[in-house]
Amino acid sequence: MGYGNYRDPFVGLRPPQDDKSVIPGGAKESYTVQAGEKLDLTFVVLPGESRDIDVAIDLVGEGAEVTLKGLYLCGGDERVRFRILMHHRSGGCVSHQLFNGIAGGSSRVTFDGRIIVAPDAQQTEAYQENHNILFSDQAHVETTPQLEIYADDVKCSHGATTGRLDEDALFYMRTRGVPVQEARVLQMLSFLSPVIPAGREEEVERAIRSL
Amino acid sequence: MYPMDRNDENTIIQEFTSGEYKEGFVTDVEQEFVPKGLNEDIIRTISRLKEEPDWLLEFRLDAFRKWQGMEMPTWPHLDLPAIDFQDIIYYAAPKKDKDRPKEIDPKLAETFEKLGIPLKERDVLAGVVAVDAVFDSVSVTTTFRKTLAEKGIIFCSFSEAVKEHPDLVRKYLATVVPSGDNYFAALNSAVFSDGSFCYIPKGVRCPMDLSSYFRINARGTGQFERTLIVADEGSYVSYMEGCTAPMRDEQQLHAAVVEIIVEKDADVKYSTVQNWYPGDADGKGGILNLVTKRGICKGSGAHLSWTQVETGSAITWKYPSTILKGDNSASEFYSVAVTNNYQQADTGTKMVHIGRNTKSRIVSKGISAGRSQNSYRGLVRMNAGAQNARNYSQCDSLLIGSRCGAHTFPVIRSDNPTAVVEHEATTSKISEDQLFYCNQRGIGPEEAVGLIVNGYAREVLSRLPMEFAVEAQKLLQVSLEGSVG
Repeated sequence: MGYGNYRDPFVGLRPPQDDKSVIPGGAKESYTVQAGEKLDLTFVVLPGESRDIDVAIDLVGEGAEVTLKGLYLCGGDERVRFRILMHHRSGGCVSHQLFNGIAGGSSRVTFDGRIIVAPDAQQTEAYQENHNILFSDQAHVETTPQLEIYADDVKCSHGATTGRLDEDALFYMRTRGVPVQEARVLQMLSFLSPVIPAGREEEVERAIRSL
Repeated sequence: MYPMDRNDENTIIQEFTSGEYKEGFVTDVEQEFVPKGLNEDIIRTISRLKEEPDWLLEFRLDAFRKWQGMEMPTWPHLDLPAIDFQDIIYYAAPKKDKDRPKEIDPKLAETFEKLGIPLKERDVLAGVVAVDAVFDSVSVTTTFRKTLAEKGIIFCSFSEAVKEHPDLVRKYLATVVPSGDNYFAALNSAVFSDGSFCYIPKGVRCPMDLSSYFRINARGTGQFERTLIVADEGSYVSYMEGCTAPMRDEQQLHAAVVEIIVEKDADVKYSTVQNWYPGDADGKGGILNLVTKRGICKGSGAHLSWTQVETGSAITWKYPSTILKGDNSASEFYSVAVTNNYQQADTGTKMVHIGRNTKSRIVSKGISAGRSQNSYRGLVRMNAGAQNARNYSQCDSLLIGSRCGAHTFPVIRSDNPTAVVEHEATTSKISEDQLFYCNQRGIGPEEAVGLIVNGYAREVLSRLPMEFAVEAQKLLQVSLEGSVG
């Protein structure tokens, strides 16, 4: 079994990518997290930005801890792509990932996240979540959270959702006199709040209002 | 729901504490083969032996030409052996005794008897199941034809359907899985030998479960059956499929195609218990189970439900899928896939939402033990027109032992802001606490694993028709034999 090779799992499921999908200004980053080290990263993509974020993280020593967060807001024709590889090479490590985003306009968002737990990387804890809100007919979201696990004593989970803002919550606010626009902003803020980095709340709120 | 008390459970466990692959015997019957290899002549021979009309031969040849231009896909998470397509016998049929053409060869009857598949109508479990039994390349018999015919239901082997209902076959064949759909579907379209055909007329509720039973017997052969199920407006049918093969050192190929057409307000329930020979404990031999299964909910309010228990085969590679075209149509996929020793599975489903208010639900339970690799791969796609469509997916993996792998590769695509998709997956192992609890109460480790696994898979097992549910529970037990301690 070709363990650990990053094989593209979607050939045959996904039509071949045309050249337009290559996003300029892409970043490819890789990190190695040693025993006892902690890595904390947050990615913020604001309206008008097209980004291709490619991150590979290796957890190589016991007790390594990684937290990844991502926030994206698209209202125009942005192309945003995340490609995350979380490789637990050593046991006893913890990783958390949470990516929340909103896609409107004719934007296209792709989230391609993978957790690999190597053989013998026991007592691993790895979690990954990706939540998306669509608010236009032309927006497109594709998400592929993946788990590749070769050890048994692990706690791993992933979750992904795509959907819209809760109509009941909107109704609740409107019956209490909150204007519809304001209610939408509040909903989006609360949806994104777990991933908004400290100190950037106002900037994100302005971005939401600009959508 | 299927009720079962503790006594039943205990008997099952006891029966199977020393389980192995029971269906691994070979039946010694005289058989007709076509020569090894694959070319247009072989295809013409198969077509001639089956006395097929020209349009079907053309269909086969067209598929073969498409297949020649295709390459075997490499994207699955499987270690696939190279398959020599020229080293396979594409057609093997038991020789018919010309004096008694109406009777089944007693040896064949015995084979199916051993497998617990009743071919004589009076033996059939209280008359609730009609069986179509396929032995290597041909259908041996179909029971309860008369009872079904009274209601206008057609249930027969594919070859008979081609002869007796050519218009129906021609109308629906390859409408869900086109001949060039994928590598193995093209191969199947070129060389398919037999299979089952089923047509439920408008408004008819099929009074009994229909069942196909597939058996590979001959050495060096492949099995390429084709199943076509058509449920006309407002009809209902529950369809079951079972499979076994002898134990052999060589790997044998099974490449089937299943197509299901569900018209307006019709309801189809398709259940599979797949127990092909999985190979021995060192990963030698076994069936390569590479199958294309797809259904379409064509009209509004159509409903298709897939339930599968996959315990056999050296390699399982299939994604029973539903195209939800009709508004308000719904589909479910319930799966338990067990791999042990060196088995590999890459299985899951695709739900393509086209119509408005379409709903789908996916529940997949993977269990890996030994040195096996078990992957869930799935696609949920919300097309732009799928207003208010809804999907919920849950994929759990259970690991037994530290040398196996469990993987999850879901793909979610949404082009509609009103569509809601939720996906959730967890991976865990049987906890020491659970095992300790059982051991403390005098339940041995293997039985305890069986109990825990059955509990874990219950949500899926409870969806199976009754006869299958019992068999499936036993199978889970056998498949995990020797995986602890």
